[in-house]
Parts: sequence; structure tokens; C-alpha cells
Amino acid sequence: MLSRSQAATIMGFREQLRRPLLLILLVVVPAYVITRSIATTQATPHLIGLPGGTMIITTMKALHGAVMAGTAIAFVAGLCGVFVMQSALSGDRRLVIAGFHPGEMVLARLAVLGSDVALVLGVSLAVTALYFTPASWLQFTGAAALIGVIYGLLGALCGAVLDKLSATYLILFAVMTDLGIVQNPMFGNGTPGRWAVLMPGYGPVRVMVGGAYSPHFDAGGELLLSLAWAAALGIGVYIVLRRAVAVTSSSARAPASE
Amino acid sequence: MSALAFVSGSFVREHLRTPVTMVMLAAIPVFFVLIFASVLGQFAGALGGTLAGGAASAISAGWAAAFLCGSLAFFQVSSSRGADRRLASAGMGAGRVALARITAAVALGVAVSATAYLTLWARSGIAHPAHAAAAILAFAFIYIGIGALIGAFVSGALEGSLLVVLVFSVDVFSGPAMTSTGGLLAYGPTRDAAKLLIAAGTGQGSPGGEWAAVTATVAAALAAAFGAFWLAARSRT
Repeated sequence: MLSRSQAATIMGFREQLRRPLLLILLVVVPAYVITRSIATTQATPHLIGLPGGTMIITTMKALHGAVMAGTAIAFVAGLCGVFVMQSALSGDRRLVIAGFHPGEMVLARLAVLGSDVALVLGVSLAVTALYFTPASWLQFTGAAALIGVIYGLLGALCGAVLDKLSATYLILFAVMTDLGIVQNPMFGNGTPGRWAVLMPGYGPVRVMVGGAYSPHFDAGGELLLSLAWAAALGIGVYIVLRRAVAVTSSSARAPASE
Repeated sequence: MSALAFVSGSFVREHLRTPVTMVMLAAIPVFFVLIFASVLGQFAGALGGTLAGGAASAISAGWAAAFLCGSLAFFQVSSSRGADRRLASAGMGAGRVALARITAAVALGVAVSATAYLTLWARSGIAHPAHAAAAILAFAFIYIGIGALIGAFVSGALEGSLLVVLVFSVDVFSGPAMTSTGGLLAYGPTRDAAKLLIAAGTGQGSPGGEWAAVTATVAAALAAAFGAFWLAARSRT
């Protein structure tokens, strides 16, 4: 006998499996973006700063290999977050009316989002491994996972409070600004500016760059900052979505809307 | 005719009713032209391309228009299918609904392009203002076609958004002066519009062949968009 949480999670996964194009795109989009960007980048020298203050000279090609996986993961995870939550808003309230607990529905949706992020993470790291070998795979993989979690949750928050178009624009704009430019060591003097620390991508990208070039872990503060972002966004998504799918006495009497 | 104008206006208002969408439609072109363009030369240099200065600023304006219009047209088709079918069945007809939709998409594309154009003009001036305006509009209209086509064949919002992002990425990486690699991947949908825009940004004219190619691409894109809107609005019975 399945619990209601398990049943809701299984339904969520079945819904994903019935969309083969989605699964194909979750593989193709990060694979194409990472492969194309690394393959076309020239091996020109570039100075960058690592966590802990060490400066090293690398090549643009190697650096693109080090950071492109994070950007691709953030783009795809963010969009998955937006639309997994949009889907939850349209269907889950009916299940709550039918007797499911709002918290169960939210956890089931987060499990689906987590599986999407895990797939994108696996593809991105596998493709990156073809072109670039980080100094510490553990640190690099952990940072990439944190980017996926943070941007997946940020997308989920946007999806829960905004309409589809606004949420899509906002999450793509956020990834482009944060990971694409502000945190990107390919630009400027190779070290993020003073205000970069205020953005969600700062911590995980610094951990990722550290893991890419150093076998030692010098990014404790950045890791804590990343975990704080992930925890805050996770709590935020849970609260917002739980409220959104919860049924009040008046909404229970009204027909469930589209 | 007034009914068509009224419905087109309603379709425009439908997308502008959310303050965040309004802010994004204004902020993203400004971001592309002011911020993205400043690092684009360095990015193109890393890829082996030669894009820099006025050309980088100009092409950023085109990409801003493309980025916004692709998603906008996709959601116009995918999110409004039910309502459009009802409108068509209520007497407006699928052709007129499609015409109203494409009028709204073009109006929003013109507004977005105008924002990008004015930002470009304020930032660095434009050596060939008329050429640049035409090229930015071409970017917008080509992506209206791409977004609407994706919307006609892909019903899932996540799948469609990922496809728009994928097409945009392929297009950006294959843009002229972006990389040193050629081959089949060098032929993106906005390649000729990008050539016009780069030439306009650096004060050079463009050959008639490029204008003809851009005109043909825009006409094909708008025809495809009309077809996609019509397909979405026609009754299944």
C-alpha cells in the first residue's frame, strides 16, 4: 500500500516520463551548449583569482570548460523550476480538494524537480569531462549541484508567484546576469567584483572555480553562503507553494480553476 | 476592421498586464546593449571572432529583440490555444484571430526593438540609423516566426521554452564575427540580419544581396507565424 506522498511522487514522475521531448531536451540543451562553447573557444591565456586569493594563469578554453557547465545547469534547472511549479499550481489544488495534504504535493513536486536537476547535472558533468578535468571532482560536482539546486528553487519561486512569460524572462535574465556575466571569470580581471557576493551564483561559482583549478578546499565561506541560499530558497518555495495549493473553505466550494 | 483592432489591442494588453513582464520588456534590451555588449567583444575574442566596439553594441540590440520576441511568440501560441479556438468558433474565424495575434506580436516586437534601438543610440550613437532599425526589427520578426512555430508543434511550456533557448544559443554561437569556425553551423536564422546590423553599427553599407536575404527570411518567418497562429486557432471538429 503506497502512502499518499509516494503516490503523488510517482504520479509526478509518470507525468515527466510521458513527455519524451522534455527528456531529450534535458539532455540535448546542456550537451550542445557546453560542447559548442568549449569546442569553439581559443586557448588564449587569461589571469583569474581563486578562492583564498591565489592568482593563476589559465587559458580561455580551459576556463570555459570550467564554468560553462554551471551556466548550462542554471539555465535548464531554472526553467524546470518555473514550469514544474506552474504545473503544480494548475493541477495539485484539485488533488488537495480530493484529500491530499498540501505539504505532500509540494514535496512530490520538489522530488520531480530534483530528478530533472539531477539529470541535467549528470549530462553536464559527463560532457564537461570530455574536454576538461577539474583538480577536485568532488568540489566541482558539489558546486555544480548547488548551482542546480539554487537556480531550480529560484525558478520554482518565480513559477509560483509569476505568470509563465514573466517567470521565464526573469529566470533567464537572472542566469545571464549572475552566472553569465557577474560571476564569470572569463571577463574583466578574472575575479568577481565587490557586489557579486550579493547574488545567488557567487558562492557556488567560486567553489566551482576553486575545484576546477585547486585540489585544496579554500572556499569554506563561499560554501556556507551557497548552502544558506539553498536553504532559504527551499523554505521559501515550500511556504509559497504550500499556500498556493492549500484549499481554504471558500476555494473548496468554488470549482477548481485552470 | 475595428473588431480586429480591438482584439489585437486585447492581445497586447494580455501580455502587458503583469508588471514584471513590462519591466523585463524594458530592462532586457537595456541590459543587452549596456552590459552584455561591454563583455561581448571579450567573449567573441575568446571564441576566435572579431566582434568588438560599435559592432558588438549593435548586435546586442538585435539579440535582445530576438530573445524577447521568441519567448513571447511561443507563449502567445501555446498559452492561448483554447481562448483562440473559442474566439474563432464564436464567429471571428481562425484567419482573423491569427491576423489579430500576429498584429499583436508585431506591435510588441516593434516596441521591444524600439527600446533596444533607443538604448543603442543613447549609448554609442548609430552610424547608419535606418539600416540599424531595419536590422533590429528583422531580428524581432524572425524570432516571432521561430517562437510561434515552436508553439504550434510543442504544447509543453517547458519543452517549448527549452527549444527557444536552444535555437537562440545555436544562433548566437553561429553569428557572423562571433567565432572563427565556419561550416554548416555558421548558418543561423539571423545570420544575414546580423551582418546588416554589424555593418550599420560600424558605419558601413550592406550589399543588396544581404537585404534581399533578410527580406526573404523575415517574410518567411511572418508567414510561418501566421500559419502557426491559424493552426492554433482553427477548430478541431
